Amino acid sequence: MKRLEPFNQTMQLLQKVLDLRAANQTVIASNIANSDTPSYNRREFQFENELQSALTGAPGALQTTHAKHISLTAGNVNDIHGKVVEFKDETGIGDENSVSVDMEMMALSENQLLYEATTQLLKKKLGMLEYAISGGK
Amino acid sequence: MDIFTTFDVSASALKAQRIRLNTISSNMANVETTSTPEGGPYKKKSVYFRTQAIPFKEQLDSSIKGVVVSEILEDQEEPRKKFDPSHPDAAEDGYVSMPNISVLKEMTDMMSATRSYEANATVIKSAKRMALKALEIGR
Repeated sequence: MKRLEPFNQTMQLLQKVLDLRAANQTVIASNIANSDTPSYNRREFQFENELQSALTGAPGALQTTHAKHISLTAGNVNDIHGKVVEFKDETGIGDENSVSVDMEMMALSENQLLYEATTQLLKKKLGMLEYAISGGK
Repeated sequence: MDIFTTFDVSASALKAQRIRLNTISSNMANVETTSTPEGGPYKKKSVYFRTQAIPFKEQLDSSIKGVVVSEILEDQEEPRKKFDPSHPDAAEDGYVSMPNISVLKEMTDMMSATRSYEANATVIKSAKRMALKALEIGR
């Protein structure tokens, strides 16, 4: 695949982040919806580490020196899918539900703010493109 | 994966919590009811939840779960006895069987249901705001 220009690369990254944040929102919604369901395991959508190693190539990234090598970590932002991890209740009291609504609400607003920040960045990026197209007028 | 899955998940929770609140209001309303069509005093009803897969949304290893009321069961506890020989539902020994409902318990359960409902309404609001922000890209 042709290496992308930095401009497109940033756009691609921002799009991917929007997708991942939308997925994260659903996982958090699932946790809050099941905050009263007995023996429900809290779920967490993890993608940040994967994203970082895709961007920096390190840590944990294996270098591919041949076209037919398969990279263990996602080298391209498009290959990031994130993973859902379940957490069991460790307290041993109550109904074995590991959701704490306050923590989830915090994760919810954090996710929402970061989503909005990403849309802002994308907007600015497009604004710059528009500025260039109009010849700086 | 789209933002609308969030709406499905949270809406299922809103529905479940509403059913829970209806059941609590039924318990509260019948706290003094001594006769029912089935005979005997009113019995406290309890709502039980279980997870539910969102149909057609089997993404992310189908780990996204909504919630549904699995069953509403009648409490099997013995009725409370109250001495009142003049009561039409009094037994021969003069005792009336009253529903075994703790108003205090019902009130706390009601608060819990309300808070859960609010939390899920907040999630819907947040998801809606995110979707609107995405629409603003390029504007």
